[in-house]
Amino acid sequence: MTLAALALAEGVPQLTLFAVLGLALCSLAFLAFELRKREGAAVWVLLSGVLSLLLVGAAVLRPARVNTRGVSVGAKIVVLVDQSRRLLLPSDGKMRRDLALHAADALSKHFSGARVALRGFASGELRPLVVADALAHINPSELSDESDLRSALNALSQEPGERPKAIVVVSDGRFTRPSATQDDASLRELTLALGAPIHTVAVTEQAPRDASIRSIRTSGATVAHQPLALTIEIGCGGGLSCAEVPVTARELRQGVEPFVLASGVAKMTGETATVELSITLERAGARLVEVSIEPPEGDTIPENNTRILTFSVTRDRLRLLHVAGRPTYDVRALRMWLKSDESIDLIAFFILRTDEDNTETSEDSELALIPFPVDELFTEHLPSFDAVILQDIDAVTYKLLRHLPALANYVRGGGGLIMVGGPSAFAGGGYARSPLEAVLPVELGGGEPPFDTADFVPRYTEAGRSAPVLRGLTELFADELPTFTGSNTLGPARPNAITLWEHPDRRAARMPMPVLALGESGDGRSIALGVDGTHALAFSEFADRAAGRAYGALWDGLVGWLMRDPRYEALRLELAGACIAGLPAKLRLVRLPGSAGDVSLQLTRLGPQRTPVLTKSVKDPAPGPLELELGALEVGGYSASARVGAAPPTRFDFACERGGPAWSDSRPDPERLARIAKVSGGRAVSLSQLSELPVPDPIEVAAERSSVPLLPAWAWTLAASLALGGHWYARRRQGLL
Amino acid sequence: MVSRFTRRVALTVPLSLWSTGAFAFGDGGAFHPRLLRAGNHPPLGVRTSGAGRWSWELVRRTSAPARLVPAEVAADQSSLQAEPFVIWAGDADPGPLSSAEVRGLTRFLRLGGVLVVDDSNPASGAFGRGARRELSRVLPESAPVRLDSGHVLFKTFYIVDRPVGRVLGPPELSAIVRGKNAQVIFLQHDLLGALARSGEGFALETEPGGLEQREHAVRLAVNIAMYVLCSDYKDDQVHAPFLMRRRARQKP
Repeated sequence: MTLAALALAEGVPQLTLFAVLGLALCSLAFLAFELRKREGAAVWVLLSGVLSLLLVGAAVLRPARVNTRGVSVGAKIVVLVDQSRRLLLPSDGKMRRDLALHAADALSKHFSGARVALRGFASGELRPLVVADALAHINPSELSDESDLRSALNALSQEPGERPKAIVVVSDGRFTRPSATQDDASLRELTLALGAPIHTVAVTEQAPRDASIRSIRTSGATVAHQPLALTIEIGCGGGLSCAEVPVTARELRQGVEPFVLASGVAKMTGETATVELSITLERAGARLVEVSIEPPEGDTIPENNTRILTFSVTRDRLRLLHVAGRPTYDVRALRMWLKSDESIDLIAFFILRTDEDNTETSEDSELALIPFPVDELFTEHLPSFDAVILQDIDAVTYKLLRHLPALANYVRGGGGLIMVGGPSAFAGGGYARSPLEAVLPVELGGGEPPFDTADFVPRYTEAGRSAPVLRGLTELFADELPTFTGSNTLGPARPNAITLWEHPDRRAARMPMPVLALGESGDGRSIALGVDGTHALAFSEFADRAAGRAYGALWDGLVGWLMRDPRYEALRLELAGACIAGLPAKLRLVRLPGSAGDVSLQLTRLGPQRTPVLTKSVKDPAPGPLELELGALEVGGYSASARVGAAPPTRFDFACERGGPAWSDSRPDPERLARIAKVSGGRAVSLSQLSELPVPDPIEVAAERSSVPLLPAWAWTLAASLALGGHWYARRRQGLL
Repeated sequence: MVSRFTRRVALTVPLSLWSTGAFAFGDGGAFHPRLLRAGNHPPLGVRTSGAGRWSWELVRRTSAPARLVPAEVAADQSSLQAEPFVIWAGDADPGPLSSAEVRGLTRFLRLGGVLVVDDSNPASGAFGRGARRELSRVLPESAPVRLDSGHVLFKTFYIVDRPVGRVLGPPELSAIVRGKNAQVIFLQHDLLGALARSGEGFALETEPGGLEQREHAVRLAVNIAMYVLCSDYKDDQVHAPFLMRRRARQKP
C-alpha cells in the first residue's frame, strides 16, 4: 500500500517556517493598508503582491511531494491466563488449568491475524506464558493462592510501549481481587486505564459437588496459653446435600498422635454454615493446626476438607516453673536472674524444710512455709508452663516420680526442660531409668555413684565453641570457664543431642562425659547441666572479671535456645515458595554469620512416625543462602531439622497442602467474568464460544517514505523574481513607488 | 536421698571441722557466713563461733546446706568476691577503710553480694555509726532505709515480728536497698553474740534475757540466711494467701 501527500515545507526547520509565514502575513497586511482607499487597477497590485508572496514563500520553503509506503499489522491483544493454584481444581475430569491453557492456545489461533501476547497472572505479577511448556510441567513457584486480576490489569496498564487493543482474561472467575462484591463503577474504573475492552473466557461454569472449608478466621494475636477463637465457614456447593458437618481442630506434633484441640458441628442453612471453635495453643513458636471436616456422601473434592494452618504463637510472657530441692547460692543466682527479666513470669517452689528438720516449733503459724503442691503443679498447671527447671530436686523424696511420665509427655508435646545439677539431680535424684530420662539429652546410667566431687574445669566441645547458644559467654571469656566442684554422673549424649561442655577427665561410654548437653524430644527441647556451680559465673573472682554478666549470658542462651529464640539458632529455615502436595518443594537455609561446615537436613513428618522421610547433606557449601530440594511431599505437617557444622540443629515446621486457601471455594464465578466484560465493553464467552470474540482492526504502520520537490529551486526563484517584477510594474502604474 | 545423707553427716561433724567429704559436691553453693575484716579490726573473740552456730542452726532447722566452719575474709582480698555473703561485726568504731577496702566492698556489692553489719555493742552504737559512715563511701548514692514489717526478711522461713539478738535492740531493721534487694542489712542487736558458743553452751547471756529471746535471735539468723539463699522467694504471689492467714492466726 502506497500513500502520496503534499508537504509544504519538507526538511525546513519549524522556526524558519513560522518566520516565513509571519513575514508573509505582515506584508499582506501592509499591502491591504496601502490599497484601502484605491479603486480600479489597485486589484492588479493586490493580485501581483499576493502572487509574489506565495512564490517567494515557495522559493524559501520548497514544497515537495511525499510518497509513503506502509504495511498493515495485526492489533496487539493480551491474553491473561489465571495461574493460581485454584486452577489445579478438577472440572469435568480435567484440570481447570489445562482447560485454561488449551483455551489460550485456541485464542492464539482465533486471533491469528493479531499479535497475541500470552501472560500468566496470579498474585499480581505478569509472567510470559508458553502454553506448551506450561502444559508439560507445573512450576510450583509460579503458582499462588492469590488470583489477583486487579493487580494484573494495573501492571498491564503501566507497561511501556504500545497499548493492547483488547484483553482476554481466561479464568474460572473466582478471583481474590476484584472481589464478588465489587460494584460496576469500581470495575469500570479498573478497566478505564487500559482503554481497551476486556473479553472474558470462563473455563468452567458448573460448580462441582463439593463440601469444603471456605475460610478460617481468627480474632487477635495467637498467644500461648490464651484461648483463640477460630471462626470456620463451611460451604456446600454443586447440589451436594449437607445438613450437619462435623469439624475438628487438631494440633500436629512430632512423635505423637495429633492432639485434638476442639471439635464442633456446622449446621448448614443454605449453602454455608459457620462454626466457632475455641482452641488454646500451649507452646510458642510455629504451631501447625489441622482443621478438618467430615463431608457428606458424594463429595468430589476431598482435598479441601482439611486445612493445615501455621500459627506463629507468641508469648505474653515466658512462664517458667522453677523447682529447687534445697536453697543454695546456685538457686539464688538462678532465681535472681529469672526475676530480673521482666519478660519472665516465674513460678518458683523451693524445698526449704524436710520432715527430718527440727524447726523448734510445733506451730505452723510461726513458719512462713507452704506445702509443696507437687500434684497440683505437675497435673493441673503443667501445660501452662513454657518450660520447667528442675534444680537439684530428689524425685523420690518429693513425690515427683509419679508425675515423671506426664512431665516427659509435656516435653514431647513442646515444653522445655532444664535439669540443673546437684547431689539430688539426674541419677542422684532417682531419675535414672525413669520416663523423664528418655527426654533428657543424655543417658543417666545408674550403676556408678551419682556424682563425683573433684574440682574440674569443663572443656568446650567443637559444637560448644560454634553454638550461638553459648556465644554470649564465649564473647566474654572465649573458651575459659571457672572451676566447678564436682559433677553429676551423666551417660553419653543421646543420638541427635549436642554436647557443649564435656568433662576433661570423666568418661561416658569411652567418650568424654557430657557436662552441658542440649537435645530435642518430640516437639520439645531439653537441657542437661551436670554441675551445680554456674553461680560462679555470677558471683566469684572469675565472674568479677566480667562484672557478673557471664551468668546472664549463659542463661539467656540456654533459656532462649529452649524457647527456640532465633538468636540462638545457627540457621534460619524457610520454604522457597509454597509447599504444594505432589509438587516439588524447596527449603531455603540461611546460615548465620559465624556458622560454617557441612549442612545436614532431616525431614520428618509430624505425627507418631519417627522415621525421617528425607535426609540430605551438603559438604561445605559455598557461603550464602542454600536451597535444598525436598521432592514432592504428601499432604501433612513436616518438621525440618537442619544442622550446620557441629552446631545444634535448628527446627522448622511447615505444612504441605494440596488445596490450601486457593481450593477453599471450588465454585466457578462466571457472573463476575460477565460483569467485568460488560463494564469494559468486552464480551464474556465460554470455552465453546471462543470464535465469537471480535478481532480488532489491524493497524497501519509506515515502512518506507520518499519526498520529491515540486519544482527545482531555481524555477521557484525565477518565478518569484518575475512575479516581484510584475508587482513592481503594477505599483508604478498606481503611483505607489 | 543423697542430700539427706550428706546433711546428716554434716550434723555429726564437730563444728571445728570442714564437712569436706559429704558436702563437696554442692559445697560451693552452701550458705557460708564469712566474717569480714575491714578497718580497725579488733578480734571478735567468742563471737567468731557465732558464725559456725549460724550454719549449724540453718542445717538443723532447714533443708539448706551450710558450711559449718567460719571463715574470715579481708575487704581488700579478691576472695571477698568468691561468695555472696559476709558479716561485718564489731564493738567499736572500725575507723576509716583503706581505698583497697572500699574498692573491694564496692565490687562485692556491685556483684550483688549481701553484707550484714552486726553491732556487737549496740549500747554504744559506735561500730554501727562507724560502719554506716564508711559504707557511705562505698555506696555514696545509697542511704540506709528502714525495712517495714512486711519486708521479706521477716518471712523467709519463720514469721518474725521484730528483730532481736543478744540484746532486744530496736524493733526494726534498716538496710541499703539496691534495686529490689536489701544488700546491706544493719543490725543493732548483736546477733553473733546471741549465737556465740562456749563449750556446750552459749557464750553470752541475752539481755533482757530468756530462752525465748535467743530462739527468736536464731530465727532471725535463719531468716537472714534464707534471704541470702532465696532472695525474695517468699514475696512470690503464690505464698501471699498462706502468709496472710498465718499472720492473722498469730495475732488474734
